[in-house]
Amino acid sequence: MNTTDIEQNNPKLLSNPPGGLLIWIVIYLELLTYGLAFFSLAYYGSIEKDLFHKHSQLLDKPIAVVNTIILLTSGFLIAKGVHFFKYKQNQKSGRYFTLAMLFGLTFLVLKMIEYKGKINAGLDMDYSTFFMFYWLMTGFHWVHVFVGIIILFFVRKMIVKNDSNADVLDVEAGAAFWHLCDLIWLILFPMLYLLF
Amino acid sequence: MQKSLLFTYIILIVLTILSPLLATYVVVKPIIYIIIIFSVIKFLLVGYQFMELKNAHTFWKAIFTIYACLIGGILMILL
Repeated sequence: MNTTDIEQNNPKLLSNPPGGLLIWIVIYLELLTYGLAFFSLAYYGSIEKDLFHKHSQLLDKPIAVVNTIILLTSGFLIAKGVHFFKYKQNQKSGRYFTLAMLFGLTFLVLKMIEYKGKINAGLDMDYSTFFMFYWLMTGFHWVHVFVGIIILFFVRKMIVKNDSNADVLDVEAGAAFWHLCDLIWLILFPMLYLLF
Repeated sequence: MQKSLLFTYIILIVLTILSPLLATYVVVKPIIYIIIIFSVIKFLLVGYQFMELKNAHTFWKAIFTIYACLIGGILMILL
């Protein structure tokens, strides 16, 4: 490893966060966008306290708790997968990525079940301000998880093929996007299901 | 490394299970504050441990930590 390689792989450098500069710019832009949505939700929640309280009780807390655990487990598995990839244990790393994707898919399916229940009960986006936030914010998050699974699929493919192009930075970037889904959900879950 | 990941995961799960248990009681200010603090802790744990921000430049850590605290603070004020 020459000096340039060491410099390129040194995460302590400002220009080289884990996963690379570009993914962190994406992450912070996403967090900023969601941050504005969190602020709006909290603001309208503080204005219409009773309505938000009443309508948040109509959500399925058990499904949301299970989904949170599923997403965190998936994040843990990806972190392990990245760890094994760094130690050149590609097949083991690939297995962790597969498991993580399965957990991600379970999250999406459970969310669809929750959505179906809400639609059948007539709790659509026009029902109230609370449900407008619920559909928009969880809907966008659902899309993020879906895109995350696609990214993980390609990253895993690259890992198990022992692709010489498989770079730590690419694997870390894919994982970082997946963790972004965790981060958004970790704020979204208490706001919609617990705090009002 | 492996142990710290597992330890982080266990803390995340414990905090996740505790939050809805707390919320089953009357939702009063102190409970709201505790749930928000739990969320901020979980957010930071995922960032620092799973995303390996602990190894990153101080700038990235600072923005991340400021964001988490800002969101937590705004929620505490508004809710």
